[in-house]
Amino acid sequence: MNKRFNSAAQVLAAIAAMTLASAASAQSAGTFTAKVGVNKITPHVTSGDMTAPALPNTKADVESDTKPILTLAYMVTDNISAELHLGVPYKHDLVGDGAIKGTGKLGTSEVLPPTFLMQYRFFEANTMIRPYVGAGLTYAYFQKERGSGAMTALLDPGGEPSSYRLKNKLAGSIQLGATLAFNERWFADVGVIKTYLKTTAKFSTGQTQNIKLDPTAVSVGIGYKFY
Amino acid sequence: MHYTKFALAALTAAVLAGCGGSSGGDQTLKVKYTAQVSFGDSLSDVGSYAVGTVAALKGGKFTINGDNTAINPELTGKNWTEHLAAQFGLPAPCAAETGLEGNAAQGFSVARVKHTGCYGYAMGGSRVTNPVGPNNRLTGSALGALTVPVATQIANHLAVSGGKFSGTEVVFVMAGGNDALFQLGSLQAAATAAGTAAGSATFASTLVPLLAAGATNPSTAAAAIGAAVRTASAAPGATSTTIVQAAVGTAAVQPGNSAVASAAVYGPMVVTAQTAATAAGAKAGADYATANGPALVTAMGAAGSELVALVKDQIIAKGATHVVVNNLPDVANTPSGLSKDASTRALINAMVSAFNNQIKTGLSGNDKVLIVDVFAVSNDQSTNPGPYGLTNVKEPACNLTDAAKNPLGSSLVCNGSNLIAGDVSHYSYADDVHPSPFNNLLLARYVAKDMVTRGWL
Repeated sequence: MNKRFNSAAQVLAAIAAMTLASAASAQSAGTFTAKVGVNKITPHVTSGDMTAPALPNTKADVESDTKPILTLAYMVTDNISAELHLGVPYKHDLVGDGAIKGTGKLGTSEVLPPTFLMQYRFFEANTMIRPYVGAGLTYAYFQKERGSGAMTALLDPGGEPSSYRLKNKLAGSIQLGATLAFNERWFADVGVIKTYLKTTAKFSTGQTQNIKLDPTAVSVGIGYKFY
Repeated sequence: MHYTKFALAALTAAVLAGCGGSSGGDQTLKVKYTAQVSFGDSLSDVGSYAVGTVAALKGGKFTINGDNTAINPELTGKNWTEHLAAQFGLPAPCAAETGLEGNAAQGFSVARVKHTGCYGYAMGGSRVTNPVGPNNRLTGSALGALTVPVATQIANHLAVSGGKFSGTEVVFVMAGGNDALFQLGSLQAAATAAGTAAGSATFASTLVPLLAAGATNPSTAAAAIGAAVRTASAAPGATSTTIVQAAVGTAAVQPGNSAVASAAVYGPMVVTAQTAATAAGAKAGADYATANGPALVTAMGAAGSELVALVKDQIIAKGATHVVVNNLPDVANTPSGLSKDASTRALINAMVSAFNNQIKTGLSGNDKVLIVDVFAVSNDQSTNPGPYGLTNVKEPACNLTDAAKNPLGSSLVCNGSNLIAGDVSHYSYADDVHPSPFNNLLLARYVAKDMVTRGWL
């Protein structure tokens, strides 16, 4: 994980370095910004019951993960911007809950949640602190779902290794954040995105489970403006 | 715009990195067991009686025998211990001792053999310490089940393993069901006998005065009729018909009583007497059961505490570190239990809970014991079968009534060829007490869930 973090950071640093020579201006129409930071995604899980055969009230929970994030934004006007969130896959643990609470980590899944937002940034383009609100879409792309010995034991003891799939979903997101300009080029950013995401887990043993993830993503980062 | 290119390249790389699909992942378990040692009864038996005619009838386990996955994927023929052995990465469990001591002519007399390297000691009919369980030859059973009690099963294991457990094996203990069934059977037989005796007495005491009432001297007539009834009752092959014949015959020859010989006259008297007899018999049977029921509850508590002592003194004290003890399932909600009247079912519940309470108080908190509450899950299944995927929780999947197909009337010789009609793959029960392969899988999953939670799997 560290290795991945480092290499991602290097890539992002390189992007920043390559563009340092651009001309100066405020956060105004036509400005591009790039921001690197860390983003913690915490799902707020409301799990449905696993379908039969399962113990009644068999639920799932999903743990949080933190990864580096790259955000690109374009100021359409002095106040309206378009923002794209990119990053490396987040790896979330799937843990037992409800009737199977205590069974711990049963699987993992990676998710790539590219998010596109339209934002409104308050105050003048050259204001030091600019709060903003945003709304947009997140595409939750799940991959590398992995079971475990424990999952197999729970679903089909002695059988083939059990696995599961999570359905990819397009979800709505809303955002609240603020930027703090250090100078004409550099700024700090803190933001919170709430995504309304429901997906369905389908297990190799035939059961399905509706899971409302509704993650909150909290990011802090350092950005740079290009003109 | 080179930075956007770079960003797109980074995004592409991220997406490409994520082309992996779903898989089972790391199947390593928290604890690696070197062996699975199973003590108990038919619920865990992996083929102690799979010999002679039982084997010829394609039976041997107390479920729907044989790999019938061609009929339905759930008809695996496996019991819960087999699923778990596979989950532990251990070889398929085998019966530690096989044989039958029943009727030789029927193929139920096969020499007892102990099998080296087989640790499936659980045996159909076995009780906790009492060597005579259901279908043991001493009960007069033609099958002649060995019913080696759990106490002896453990001693047999210690005898072949240097007097100790290695500490790296998983030990399963699931017993007590036959203590309940055997004692219930005895109680029922005794209650029936008490009921029959009381019924006969009431029949005579009601009928005689009715028949004598028309005589010139009813008391003399009653004495004569009573004597005739006693004689007829004592005669070999006596039935209610022969007794009534004798009574009416004697009554009719009493002075002034000839009219009673007419069926129109004595018939209603017999009906009255039968009604009284039935009521009295039922009451006497119930009274007997009520009077003697508490003794059974006490006996089940004693069996429970004996099992606790065995687990502590003969298993854990001898070195075992991972002992899974399943408590007794909800016997009152098996097809067998459901066939009983409400008071008997209440008695069964009291017996099962007396046993389970001993297990709970005696073994909970022991860091080498995992108590699996099978009662709770089997009780829930009986009222809430849907989430478990069960389609029938009241009737056996095996055809137990056709003696040509199932001469034992037991799941012991039940297989794909003698099931009832229709899809029975998700039935809870194979016969009147034993779970189907599907429910055995559910039990294996339930035990596994508790083992995972405990950090034992």
